[in-house]
Amino acid sequence: MVDIRNLERRWLKYKIKSYAPYVGAVIAVFFVFLSIAYYSVDTQESESTVEKEQLNIPVKESSSTTAPQSDESSAVLEPSMDFVQSFQTSTPSTQIPTAPAPQNTKPLQQSIPLPKVLNVPQSASIKASPPAVSPTSADKPFSLNRNESKPDIESVERRFKETSNANLGLFIARYHYDHGNYSEAYNFSLKTNSLNSNIDESWIIFIKSLVKLGRVEQAKKTLHLYISESNSESARSLLDSIERGTFK
Amino acid sequence: MESSLFSKPRDLFLDVVNPRDYVQIDSVSHMYQSLKNSVQKPLKMILLFGKPGTGKSMLLHKLHHDLSKHQKVLMFDIPIVDEDDFLRVLAQRIFGHAPREVMTLTRFLEIAEAVSYADVPIVLLDEAQLYSSSLMEKIRLISDARAIKFVITLHKTDKEDVIAKEHFQTRIWESIELQNASADELKVYVQKKLLKANCFDVANMFNDKNMKLITSLTKGNYRDTNKLLFSLFSLYYWYEENHPTLIKYNALKSKWIEMAAIHTGLIRG
Repeated sequence: MVDIRNLERRWLKYKIKSYAPYVGAVIAVFFVFLSIAYYSVDTQESESTVEKEQLNIPVKESSSTTAPQSDESSAVLEPSMDFVQSFQTSTPSTQIPTAPAPQNTKPLQQSIPLPKVLNVPQSASIKASPPAVSPTSADKPFSLNRNESKPDIESVERRFKETSNANLGLFIARYHYDHGNYSEAYNFSLKTNSLNSNIDESWIIFIKSLVKLGRVEQAKKTLHLYISESNSESARSLLDSIERGTFK
Repeated sequence: MESSLFSKPRDLFLDVVNPRDYVQIDSVSHMYQSLKNSVQKPLKMILLFGKPGTGKSMLLHKLHHDLSKHQKVLMFDIPIVDEDDFLRVLAQRIFGHAPREVMTLTRFLEIAEAVSYADVPIVLLDEAQLYSSSLMEKIRLISDARAIKFVITLHKTDKEDVIAKEHFQTRIWESIELQNASADELKVYVQKKLLKANCFDVANMFNDKNMKLITSLTKGNYRDTNKLLFSLFSLYYWYEENHPTLIKYNALKSKWIEMAAIHTGLIRG
């Protein structure tokens, strides 16, 4: 005789057992989605923070000469105002001459025009200069003032170490090249290339640094390899200038 | 007392081998026909093999039932493992000769030679894996001498491939493998069996979903299906007596199929 009650109990146990793996799988999938969502939000936040920091490098420490910002972005560098403070004791007021914003400005390749600072008219004040710089019409490109000083580049280097952001690496390599620190420029452009091998300018700085460091043959070899990989026009013209001996 | 709708179907699925209960399914019918054809050929030994519950014994009984009307056929559904007894029973029942002395193979072949039939007598050996190697060798020699034609059934297990056995590797003249049924075949099997016994209402309760579940539980094995359905109709019988309102007559309850499977040990509860 069949014991129906016992059989029903066993059947219930069987059903619970058979559904357990599915319930477990659903819970696991839910947690996986949850963790992915959490991770993606976290990554986005950290990326936006890095971007903000990158944008804030010049803006954060810029002097009162900062031009009004517009949506169209093109950076115009202005010399660091820190050293001007030292002149302020001897000269009551110093006006920094402001050149009109060049169209194709390479921000960090521009050197600080120190002589101009020394020839500024004495009557003008520093604070008076920004209106002259700021674009009045919408057609004019957005000007971004940048304050480059040693503490700045150190903080950027520190941030580069923390974030391994290729753009920061390029920034630093460019800075050092512009300042004649070719070994540092070489190092940072090399790091940048290892992080992102598609940045043309980083390769150019790397090769230029090699030339400056006297390793011309290695520079040429690298340049040949890079041209064969990327077909870069700027790399070709650089190779041409190196081979002709016109590169300085 | 036996007025229950489910008592007759329950008894139909008792696991007994009766050639009258043979149900014609396409694949089994094909197998049976090829077996019959093989028996007609001048072959000496025919092997019927498959996993337990695939219908080997039923096919052998059916063959015995059909052939015994026309020729000398002997069925050994319970193996006689003693060699002397085996030869003595064969000599007596096939050739009608019961010598008092010890029956040796040579003596048996002499008797077989002395008695001649128009058709070679057929001996059907079920569960041949239970015979000893020595007796199997004698069976082979008897068949080689064309004294008797043997049809034997063997279990095919996963561990042991019977075809590879020494006796059968070079001695098999024809082999037929039986396999488990598909869901469709099993449905035909169950419904034909029920309809044959005029259980029309119960036969209509089997839908495709039910049959898929039954096939997945029994893996298409006929013996397991019989056991499961016997148990299932026992449950229905109980519910019909105690909770008749729970029974739905348009389909079988999956829950009760699973309960029957737990009861028969096909799944663990």
